[in-house]
Amino acid sequence: MAESLNAKITALFDEPGCNTNVAKGEKARKKGCSKPLQPGAAAGGCAFDGAKIALQPITDVVHLVHGPLACEGNGWDNRHAASSGPTLYRIGATTDITETDIIMGNGEKRLYRAMREVVERYAPPAIFVYSTCVTALIGDDINAVCRHATEKFGIPCIPVNAPGFVGSKNLGNKLAGEALLDHVIGTMEPEVTTPTDINILGDYNLSGELWQVKPLLEQLGIRLNACITGDARYREVATAHRARVNMMVCSTALINVARKMEERWGIPYFEGSFYGISDTSEALRTLARLLVAQGADAGLIVRAENLIEAEEKRAWSRLDAYRSRLAGKRVLLYTGGVKSWSIVSALQEMGMVIVSTSVRKSTDNDKQKIKDLMGGDAHMVNSIPPREMYAQLRRGDADILLSGGRTQFVALKARTPWLDINQERHHAFAGYDGMVTLVRQLDASLSNPVWKDVRRLAPWEQEDGETGFDDEGVPALVPIG
Amino acid sequence: MPQSVDKILDHAPLFREPEYKEMLARKAEFENMPPVEQVTQIADWTKSWDYREKNFARESLSVNPAKACQPLGAVFVASGFERTMSFVHGSQGCVAYYRSHLSRHFKEPSSAVSSSMTEDAAVFGGLNNMVDGLANTYKLYSPKMIAVSTTCMAEVIGDDLNAFIATAKEKESVPADFDVPFAHTPAFVGSHVTGYDNMLKGILEHFWKGKTATPNGSLNIIPGFDGFAVGNNRELKRVLDLMGVDYTILSDVSDQFDTPSDGEFRMYDGGTPIEATKNAVNASATLSLQEYCTPKTLDYAASFGQKTKSLHYPIGVGGTDDLLGSISELTGKPVPEALELERGRLVDAMADSQAWLHGKTYAIYGDPDFVYGMARFVLETGGEPKHCLATNGSKAWEAQMQELFDSSPFGAGCKAWGGRDLWHMRSLLATEEVDLLIGNSYGKYLERDTKTPLIRLMFPIFDRHHHHRFPVWGYQGGLRVLVTILDKIFDCLDQDTIEPGVTDYSFDLTR
Repeated sequence: MAESLNAKITALFDEPGCNTNVAKGEKARKKGCSKPLQPGAAAGGCAFDGAKIALQPITDVVHLVHGPLACEGNGWDNRHAASSGPTLYRIGATTDITETDIIMGNGEKRLYRAMREVVERYAPPAIFVYSTCVTALIGDDINAVCRHATEKFGIPCIPVNAPGFVGSKNLGNKLAGEALLDHVIGTMEPEVTTPTDINILGDYNLSGELWQVKPLLEQLGIRLNACITGDARYREVATAHRARVNMMVCSTALINVARKMEERWGIPYFEGSFYGISDTSEALRTLARLLVAQGADAGLIVRAENLIEAEEKRAWSRLDAYRSRLAGKRVLLYTGGVKSWSIVSALQEMGMVIVSTSVRKSTDNDKQKIKDLMGGDAHMVNSIPPREMYAQLRRGDADILLSGGRTQFVALKARTPWLDINQERHHAFAGYDGMVTLVRQLDASLSNPVWKDVRRLAPWEQEDGETGFDDEGVPALVPIG
Repeated sequence: MPQSVDKILDHAPLFREPEYKEMLARKAEFENMPPVEQVTQIADWTKSWDYREKNFARESLSVNPAKACQPLGAVFVASGFERTMSFVHGSQGCVAYYRSHLSRHFKEPSSAVSSSMTEDAAVFGGLNNMVDGLANTYKLYSPKMIAVSTTCMAEVIGDDLNAFIATAKEKESVPADFDVPFAHTPAFVGSHVTGYDNMLKGILEHFWKGKTATPNGSLNIIPGFDGFAVGNNRELKRVLDLMGVDYTILSDVSDQFDTPSDGEFRMYDGGTPIEATKNAVNASATLSLQEYCTPKTLDYAASFGQKTKSLHYPIGVGGTDDLLGSISELTGKPVPEALELERGRLVDAMADSQAWLHGKTYAIYGDPDFVYGMARFVLETGGEPKHCLATNGSKAWEAQMQELFDSSPFGAGCKAWGGRDLWHMRSLLATEEVDLLIGNSYGKYLERDTKTPLIRLMFPIFDRHHHHRFPVWGYQGGLRVLVTILDKIFDCLDQDTIEPGVTDYSFDLTR
């Protein structure tokens, strides 16, 4: 691993914005925050993947992956990060290096030529260049190539040094953030600024969720300077340093960006969420308060309260119809990050019962919020091994599982309804409207007749009392509250 | 000139050339075409509730009926027996229709002959046509059996098939012991499903009359009139073999309508052997897969002491459960594990895709049993079969459908329309829109008129090829039906989001 990259990672592990990190001794801190990867166990994405998903939503640039075909090929266009305009970010650009390139050391030349072709064909405002395991191992210096190309082509070429082997997906998110801090944010000046400019950090506009929130901001006269990086344009990100407030929505992904922007440009940040009704309101309230503290018109606070009141009323009246159908239904929330607590309160308001929530990728702050909401940490789990989850669902400990796509199949095999709330979902769940969508989807999932077929034995089969699964020692999921 | 020798345009682009556009515009003017606005206005009105009420008040006129006539069913069922030639007594134009209908659907030659009655035959009776016709058929096509049915013409003048065939045998048109079963199949009664029943009963009666049955534990299975017969019957046989059942499929057209291209022309291929048909009288039970194709045939089988049972076109989980359960019940053979695994796989696939199917609304039309089986599967996937229409559906069918709707919360607000036609369906689609239309090729006009995406799962399918080669019955067939519906949903979704720079934010790789 290149020295510079090593230093960068070590620096990332020392994150003053993170309570856990600060609490650790110096030695423990060096090991980093993500758990060591366990060979032989099923694992999540790599650092490259993390960096790519964090930056890919910048829509008007070309994301060029320097590596063998499959690094880009396997992940090509696999997230619904929506764009309101340019589609350049969705092309799968890669140097597709081959055995000969590796042996002969042609990687850097090939990369440069690829960048030249990108400029000739697409003339993007910038190129993001990603290193991968192979090109990092053979020592291709993408920093140098990018520096050279920037001079030659006259457009910013940004090296993203996050080869897969350096660590987890989460680390990749942070390395992507570093690339933005080093090469993008603060490199351009905005044409206009207003006292109510904000950035949103860590929202990727999956399924167009940002667009459910943007109208709310617009009604308050809050201008979204840059969303980093959902539906972003290169220029917006480059001028993000002139915003008055940063709102961080996926707390562990880009905390380094938020903290360093505060250090460098004095932009205060807070952590909020647009999932769930009360959380959306809280986020709007905090935004208004911080903007006023930064010098915006004090009337903003009153306008925010009025909007919140009207929107909450509208949302609850639309949700009323579902209350009787959903009350008492038991939910196992298996996700991570902010979603582990942000959806809880809304579901509880519908009379649903949360039986457990997982806190993978959640911060201490997230965890504290869960404790507050659920009265204790008994039901907070880091992860549930598939075998246990299968047994719990098969046993009927929960009526529905809310999770990402990968756990879907555990639920289906355990004959339990399931709703996708992670990146592959097809509906936008953010903001007030999003909560109504979520509840409607929840209701649809629970009432789908296929579950009857899933649970029903073939008519000629006899229920022989044999459970067919091993749930010995598997803790029960107990309703909370 | 729009047309040049170097690049000959076919009709689609040719008539879009300015010369032709101008010519057609002037032609319209010359013919006093009303102005475009007026045409649009009237066309819009025909999609209103006002028009719907007038449309449903129709008493005498039928517009685009979704049914065919008895002899088509008779020709179809007769094709499923060993070396059997259909002989339709009456006018020959009718027979040409059956042949083209079957050919266009199955993309296979379809052989049937007519007694080619003319005006003098209508005046003096068609006996001579029968005598000459049987002789020629026997000589020209060397069949093992000639199955005689009738067109309207012969029925109106009241030709007596039984007597005519006896006379023809006396006159040595065919040998005295040659098999010539018959059925009266007037088109002005019932539909092709009735003709299927009549002809099948006629064939069984020919072989079984006067016999005493000795039950041998085997099972007779009648597939019924089915455009997917090639795939379905083969799937059915696979399932029956897996269960180890001793069976006879009464009328198996799967090989007749799927002959290989290997240099040999097969006028006849496969089919239920004559011997097996004779022995089928000794079966312990007869199971019909389409109730409305077999009421008389089942009664006849029951008169030999056979147990009988009928289903409604076994699509989907419940439909197939009933099929396997019935086979099991009638033969005492258990359902093997292999089939239970297939069941689990179908349920798994339905669960995987449930979010996309949930709450989708459908209009379904076709033969009564198909509409029932299809609606039942739609309900299983969380869909709502809002408009279910069968031109050849009866009041009793409507009641059965209502019972089905009442069995599921997704059936609320769904309605069965027996005796209605596709022009009624147009009003239904225009006034109470649905997400998807399930029917046959004729549905494409409804698709064009009402923008309701069409899924072709019903006979006849003229404008798409080879669908009939894959089963829709059984758990395997259920998968195909599921995929067909999903493909349409996803294709439509892609089509709706395909405009670059406008809707492509939702043009997603993963769905």
